[in-house]
Amino acid sequence: MRRRIDHQSMDRPRVWAGVEELSDDPRFQAFIEAEYPAVQEFSKTARREFLKLMGASFALAGLTGCEKSSFVAALPYVDQPASETIGLPRYYATAVSLDGYAQPVIATTYGGRPTKLDGNPGHPTTLGRSDIFMQSAVLQLYDPDRAAAPMRRGEPVSWADVESAIGLMRENWLADQGEGVRLLLGPTTSPTLLRQIAAFLKQFSKARVHLHSTAGLDARRQITAASYGQPLDQHYVLANCDVVVSLDDDFLGPGPDQVRNALGWSQSRRRYSDRPGNRLFMAESVPSATGALAVHRLIADARRMPALAEALADAVGVAGASRPELTDAEGRWIARAAAACKERPGRSLIVSGLSGGAAAGLWVARINQQIGNAGQTLKLTAPISGPENAGTLAELVSDINSGRVDSLVIFDGNPAYGAPGELGVGEAITRVRSSIHLGLQRDETGALCEWQLPLAHALESWSDARAVDGIATILQPVISPFYDVRTAHQIAGMLLGEVDPAADAAVRETWRASFGDAFDTRWKQALHDGFVEGAEPSITASPASNIIAPPGTTGDLDIVFRPDPTVWDGQFANIGWLQELPKTLTTVTWSNVVAVSPALAKRLAASNGDHVEVKIGERRVSGPVWIMPGQADNTVALFLGYGRTRAGRVGNDLGYNAYHVQASADPWLARGSLRKLDTSEDLAVTQLHHRLEGFDLAREVSPGQAERAPSDQASLYAPWPSSKNAWGMVIDLDSCIGCNACVAACTAENNVPVVGADQVRVGREMHWLRIARYYTGDIAEPRSFFEPVPCMHCEDAPCEMGCPVHATTHSPEGVNQMVYNRCIGTRTCSSYCPYKVRRFNFFDYRAPGDSSEHAAHNPDVTVRSRGVMEKCTYCTQRIEAAHVAADKENRPLRDGEVITACQQACPTKAIVFGDINDPNSEVSRLKRSSRHYVLLEELGTRPRTTYLARWRDDDDAESRQG
Amino acid sequence: MRDVKIVAPIARHRGAARMVQLFSPMADTWLRLFLIGGLSLAGGGTVAVVGFARSAYMTDTDVRPRQPVPFSHRHHAGELGIDCRYCHSNVEVGPSAGLPPTETCMTCHSEIWTNAKMLEPVRQSLANNTPIQWTRVAKLPDYVFFRHDIHIAKGVGCEACHGRIDQMALTYRAKAFTMEFCIDCHRDPAPHLRPPDHITDMAWKPTSDARKEGEEIAAHEGIRFGELTHCYVCHR
Repeated sequence: MRRRIDHQSMDRPRVWAGVEELSDDPRFQAFIEAEYPAVQEFSKTARREFLKLMGASFALAGLTGCEKSSFVAALPYVDQPASETIGLPRYYATAVSLDGYAQPVIATTYGGRPTKLDGNPGHPTTLGRSDIFMQSAVLQLYDPDRAAAPMRRGEPVSWADVESAIGLMRENWLADQGEGVRLLLGPTTSPTLLRQIAAFLKQFSKARVHLHSTAGLDARRQITAASYGQPLDQHYVLANCDVVVSLDDDFLGPGPDQVRNALGWSQSRRRYSDRPGNRLFMAESVPSATGALAVHRLIADARRMPALAEALADAVGVAGASRPELTDAEGRWIARAAAACKERPGRSLIVSGLSGGAAAGLWVARINQQIGNAGQTLKLTAPISGPENAGTLAELVSDINSGRVDSLVIFDGNPAYGAPGELGVGEAITRVRSSIHLGLQRDETGALCEWQLPLAHALESWSDARAVDGIATILQPVISPFYDVRTAHQIAGMLLGEVDPAADAAVRETWRASFGDAFDTRWKQALHDGFVEGAEPSITASPASNIIAPPGTTGDLDIVFRPDPTVWDGQFANIGWLQELPKTLTTVTWSNVVAVSPALAKRLAASNGDHVEVKIGERRVSGPVWIMPGQADNTVALFLGYGRTRAGRVGNDLGYNAYHVQASADPWLARGSLRKLDTSEDLAVTQLHHRLEGFDLAREVSPGQAERAPSDQASLYAPWPSSKNAWGMVIDLDSCIGCNACVAACTAENNVPVVGADQVRVGREMHWLRIARYYTGDIAEPRSFFEPVPCMHCEDAPCEMGCPVHATTHSPEGVNQMVYNRCIGTRTCSSYCPYKVRRFNFFDYRAPGDSSEHAAHNPDVTVRSRGVMEKCTYCTQRIEAAHVAADKENRPLRDGEVITACQQACPTKAIVFGDINDPNSEVSRLKRSSRHYVLLEELGTRPRTTYLARWRDDDDAESRQG
Repeated sequence: MRDVKIVAPIARHRGAARMVQLFSPMADTWLRLFLIGGLSLAGGGTVAVVGFARSAYMTDTDVRPRQPVPFSHRHHAGELGIDCRYCHSNVEVGPSAGLPPTETCMTCHSEIWTNAKMLEPVRQSLANNTPIQWTRVAKLPDYVFFRHDIHIAKGVGCEACHGRIDQMALTYRAKAFTMEFCIDCHRDPAPHLRPPDHITDMAWKPTSDARKEGEEIAAHEGIRFGELTHCYVCHR
């Protein structure tokens, strides 16, 4: 009989995972206590029927065991490449991009096909760390819904047709120097593309370029333009920060700069072994990953940000600032933050996000200047973007509507979907006489354009791009295109009048100019290393001295827009891996939500999944509501990236389209109202799945707290006899930012299937590693915790005792092994597992045999079929490969020779794996830490995966008392 | 006990006069025969099933599948003495031994037997740049992750699994690749090991004391005794 432990009685703050839990609804209790909730729905007779049917299946299934292995074909090369070792991976340095910025990767390829992307360890910016978008780019390559050939109005054409059509267009353009020709560019940092655009503008002097970004890049530059007098890129040197104050800036959240920020943050956070190395103050309207890590988290509506910025400016003594009216909580927070900043001049950093706008941005710039952070913890560089006199999307639309545009070329963007709805971009595009769309997919925009030209994926392309700090990477193809596609540079070449340009010609030409005489060696070196030295030099700029008044505060609710945490601005909507990742903090999958505060939900009488209608001006959109504990009372968050109609089979018709109500003048903060509708939906949420029965799951320790006595749990069982290596893992909860990179990496490495929203609803998601998210405290102002939970590899594993067929056993190295071909699917192991880390294949989730996704599979890992259990293996394929390498050289394994996929991906290095028999290994060192603890230690399972508790900063305790 | 009424025996006694014999005199014998028969059927069935599973039919030993070119290992490896690694060049470095690319065949056959009809598919392969479609003879199930390189490095000869390839005119599977076959050696590798310079030597025979010699090799090669039988060594 399972029993809930009464948290209230145990002098501990109650830990909860979802708002439903706080209501103590019995139906909900039944749901969470079910091992697999869907099975509970069988009635008794249905169960009998089921067994009857299964009896026959079992009898027949037995016969399949006798299947004779058939003789199959073996195809050798005709001319084998000299460097090819069949069955071993080869690695190439290249990059994929997010919002135009390079994310440097090392691509693992087997037999010429990429299967896994990881950060490039040699790259100075990311040091080999990754994020979810980088991890998932490889699945995008194999997306069967990609555009496969050029089309004209939906009819297939050849590239020769395209070239001749472009030739005709060029003749017309030459006649009037390109009057009426417009190029629309998404965010790009590619030196080659920028060079080609410049060349194009030289040929057609009256043509014009318009820039458009969906995820806030423009807005950030507008803020710096207002606060420094020129558009700038800001770079946070978090590694040197002792204090960080953020005004609604989720700098550890998803985005092009996440990896660098997370690395810097964790470096400073881990500076000392006996106390946290930095303190984070966060004022935010919508809970974010960054806010979850803050020591002092202030909940304030989005419209309060400029006032808070000014108050902070006043408190640190910035000239011209006056103290606005503040609530008590705000006043206390400002006083503390200001004191902390003043204590650490030059070692603190104040940042602000998009919702504060230019008003907050200017104050923040001045504060950083005042306390000497500028140049120290805040670096500024000139932005890398298109031509200086480029227009905006709004200008383009108005030009089209006034008939000044007759040719439009859209470079890899989807403005018909991803642009403020009131602009009416889609309608405008149809008015242009000849329009060309370049894209990976024939998306919403492509469908409206005359010519749809399919682009090669980054992994198939020669190209170049710069990382967030300006370090360039030359992209090399790791596979030749398997569709009839061209790179953006080839198409730009056609626009420049080149005939059938080679894929690498333009890129070589760009770099020939900068490499000079040493081109051949430096080119090879750049391809090998994956980057070209030379970050963008930082510049000094002083903040403007004017005062920007915040926009008026009329309206009912603050409505903020955020890119979606997993599908970003919608460009990744068709990637199943990303759709199925539980979103940070909400744990919703396969949909976006309208996030509201608990107080607002109460006013609306809405519960999770109820539909609400958001009205901004005259535009409305409706979506499912999500009660976000800790959200500011009068702020509503809408997430972009959903409601796509031409994303493909995976991403179509999910969620609602928030772009529809986005305003073009101020896209990131609006005023609006909310109305509850009568309908509702069942969201695919994972927060209540795989619950642990226990307490003290995600722990905190204060720096002063007495060192925890080393655990000495008596056991009747002898310690697990170990061979030379004993594998173990430590996960540092203080460093975890809940970003899901580990989960995405595990999915890619271990062929973890995507099951779809319906299966997630009934608790059948297959992730081997989950980021459990817990709350403590009051629903209005909770503290949030992230806890990655892979298999614990218990030395006394309950699952092993449960299996009737010994399909799960223990290795001499302490790994809990799962043997798929022996598993008969009783699921006993899963019900015995106290950590709920085992996953069952209820269906055959494998893609059909001829589908392109198969090529993305890791050939070193079995692709599981229906009816077998699976779980984290500590990446046993990597352990065995390392063993083979070491054994062939007749030497012991070195520390760090085996790196699990999750460990490799983690941007904060929160996951450490290694040999616990070696006292000098990193993992052994961490296991001796005073923060070390074992999850559910009282069960005596002696897990090999253990945790480091999160730091509870000293004055954190003080703040809770006060 | 004294309270018990003795009605029942009387009643039974009274009815006995009318009662028909339930079991025939043969009943006991039938039962015994049935039990013996049932047990021997179950036992025999098990033996039969296991025997069938291990039969040459099920394990595909001794089957010589049709090949596009009737390639003779006896001629090339045995009579001509070409080393295994000349064609299977991947065997020491990678998981798979590798089949020779057409180019390898043509190193010799562009000089000798250039017009042999038998070699037409090889020439076609080169001319059309299409692989020769061999039929795989030595094949393990998909859930077995076997690596040639580590076996070669640790002193397991080719012949240990592939048999006397040098005597096969047409290649066949010499050993049944059952789990038992693999695990016998993983449990007790010593007697199956040979010195590194005899890895490809088909005719190599251990000296009188194979175990002692094997143990010396195992010690030298640092074979991880006891660790080779856990599941993840071969299944992932």
